[in-house]
Amino acid sequence: MLTLESVTKRFGGLTAVRAVSLEVRAGDLLGIIGPNGAGKTTLFNVISGYYRPEEGRVRFDGHDVTGLPAHEISRLGLTRTFQIVKPFGNLSVADNVMIGALTRLPRVRDARVEAERVIALCGLGPHARARARALPIALRKRLEVARALATRPRLLLLDEVMAGLNPAELAGIVDLVRRIHGEGVTLIVIEHIMAAMMRLAQRIVMLHHGEKIAEGTPQTIAHDRRVIDAYLGEEFNLAEA
Amino acid sequence: MSRLAPDRWVALVVFGAAAVTPLLIRDTFILDSVILILLWGALSGAWNVAGGYAGQVSLGHAAFFGIGAYAAALMSARYGQSPWLGLAAGVLLSIGAGAMIGYLSNRLKGPYFALSTIAFAEVLKIVASRWRGFTAGSEGVPVPFRPGFWTLGLGHVAWLYLILVLALLCYALQIYLERSRVGYQLAGVREDEDAAEALGIATRRRKVQAIVVSAALTSACGSLWAQYVGFVDPSHVFSIDLSVRFALNAIIGGMGTALGPFLGSILITSLETYLRATFSGIKAGFTGIYLIIYGVVLILIVRFAPEGLTGIAARLRARSVGAHA
Repeated sequence: MLTLESVTKRFGGLTAVRAVSLEVRAGDLLGIIGPNGAGKTTLFNVISGYYRPEEGRVRFDGHDVTGLPAHEISRLGLTRTFQIVKPFGNLSVADNVMIGALTRLPRVRDARVEAERVIALCGLGPHARARARALPIALRKRLEVARALATRPRLLLLDEVMAGLNPAELAGIVDLVRRIHGEGVTLIVIEHIMAAMMRLAQRIVMLHHGEKIAEGTPQTIAHDRRVIDAYLGEEFNLAEA
Repeated sequence: MSRLAPDRWVALVVFGAAAVTPLLIRDTFILDSVILILLWGALSGAWNVAGGYAGQVSLGHAAFFGIGAYAAALMSARYGQSPWLGLAAGVLLSIGAGAMIGYLSNRLKGPYFALSTIAFAEVLKIVASRWRGFTAGSEGVPVPFRPGFWTLGLGHVAWLYLILVLALLCYALQIYLERSRVGYQLAGVREDEDAAEALGIATRRRKVQAIVVSAALTSACGSLWAQYVGFVDPSHVFSIDLSVRFALNAIIGGMGTALGPFLGSILITSLETYLRATFSGIKAGFTGIYLIIYGVVLILIVRFAPEGLTGIAARLRARSVGAHA
C-alpha cells in the first residue's frame, strides 16, 4: 500500500531522514519508535506531502506521490494527525470534524451525519458543541484523530496521539486506535510510550539519527541490541508491560 | 420550517427598514445616510469574504474600490459609454488584480500580507495621480449626470433600492459562506492551513478564490459609488482610510459573520455622520474634535466587544442558555 524507496530529507547540512526504505501492506499496524530528533515526524511530513524529499520516492496505492501537495495525497486516502495538535480553535468540535467529512461528502447534510458518526466513534459525543480550543489535551488529541478519520483515509499516520495523557486517557485512546484499525484502516503510529506500542503494533521500525536501524515484531525489537543501546536503555520486558 | 435564528431576524429588520424608508421619508439627508450605510455595509461584506471568512486580512481593498470607481467614471466621462460597461471592465480588472494579491497571500502571512496589500493600493494611487493623460491625475474625474438607468443617472430613491440589492447580494453571499462546503473549508483555511491541507483542502486555491470574489464585489461597489457621488479622485478612492473603513466595519460588527459588516456600518457610518454634523465647523470651536470622539468610541468598542457586535449577542445568548440549563 505504501512504499518508501530510499527516502532522504535534508535541512541544510543536517540529514533528518537518511535513505529510509519501508513497505506497509494494507491492514498493517506499524509502529515507529526512536529518540527525540530521530526523524520520525520528518518522515511523516515527507510521506504526507509537507516536505519534498531530496532523494527517493514515496508510492501510495500505485501512485507516485513524491512531492505532491498534501491535500492531493489526503484525497488519495492518506492523511495524518499532528504531534502538536492543530484544532480549528474557534470552531466547534462538530464543525472541525465536518470539515474533514466534506472532503468525501460534498453535501453539507451528508457530511454532518458522517461527522456525528465519527464523533461518537471517537468518544467526543458529549463535547460536539464545545469550542475546540476549550478542550483539554486528551480530547484535543481525540479530535485530531476524529477529524482525520472523517476524511475516510485508507492509510492514517498518527503522530504521538498518546503523549501527555494519564493512564485512563491512555487506555481509552489505545482502545480507539484498535477500533480504527478494526474498521480496516491501515495505520502507522509514532509513539514514545513503549508499553502501549508493544501491545498495539504488529511491526515496529526504529529510527536513529534519521536512519532505520531495526525493524521487526515487538518481541524482536524489544531484544534488539541496537534498539536497547540507542533507545530503551534496558531490555523491555513484554510480560511486565 | 425551522425557527429563524436571532441574527436573521435582525437582518430582516435592518434590510426591511431600509426598504420602507423611501415610502415614509423623502428627506434627502436621511436617504443619503441610508444609502451610504448600505453601501459601506456591502463593501465591508465584500471585504469580509477574504478578511473574515478566509482570514486573509487586507488593508488595501481600496485598490479594488478605486479600480471600479475609475473604470465606471472613465467609461462614462471619457468614452461616453454606459457606466455599467465600466463596472464590468472594473470587475474584470479587479479579478486580475485579486488573483495577483491572492498569489501574494500564499507567500506572505498575517501582517506581511496586510502590508503588501497597503503597498498595492498605494502604487495604484500613484499611478492614477500621475497618469494625467488617461486619468486626469490628481484633479480627478467628474462623472457626467445623464438621467436613466443605463447611464446610472438616478434619484435618491432609485439609488437606495439599487444599493439595497447590492447589499442583499453581499449578505446572501456571506450566508452561503456560513453554511456551504466552500464556507466550511475557508474556515478551516483561516484557522489552520496545515490542518486544512491534511484534510484534503486545496488551501492555496481556496484563498485565491476568496480574494478574487472579494475583489470583484468591492470593485462593483466602487463603480456604483462613483456614479452615486459623481466625482472620483485618486487620493480618496485609493486611500488607506477607505481600506481601513472596510475592515473596521467588519471588525466592529463581527468578522466572519454575515450580519457583522452591516451592523458595523450602521454604527460607524451614523456615528461619523452625526459627529461630523454636530461637532465640526468653525462654529463649534473645536475643529476636528469629532475625530477624537470617534476614536474614543472605537477604543471602547474594541475594549468591551473584541469579537464585535455579533459577538456580544452570542455571549449574551450563551449566558442565558447557561442560566436556564
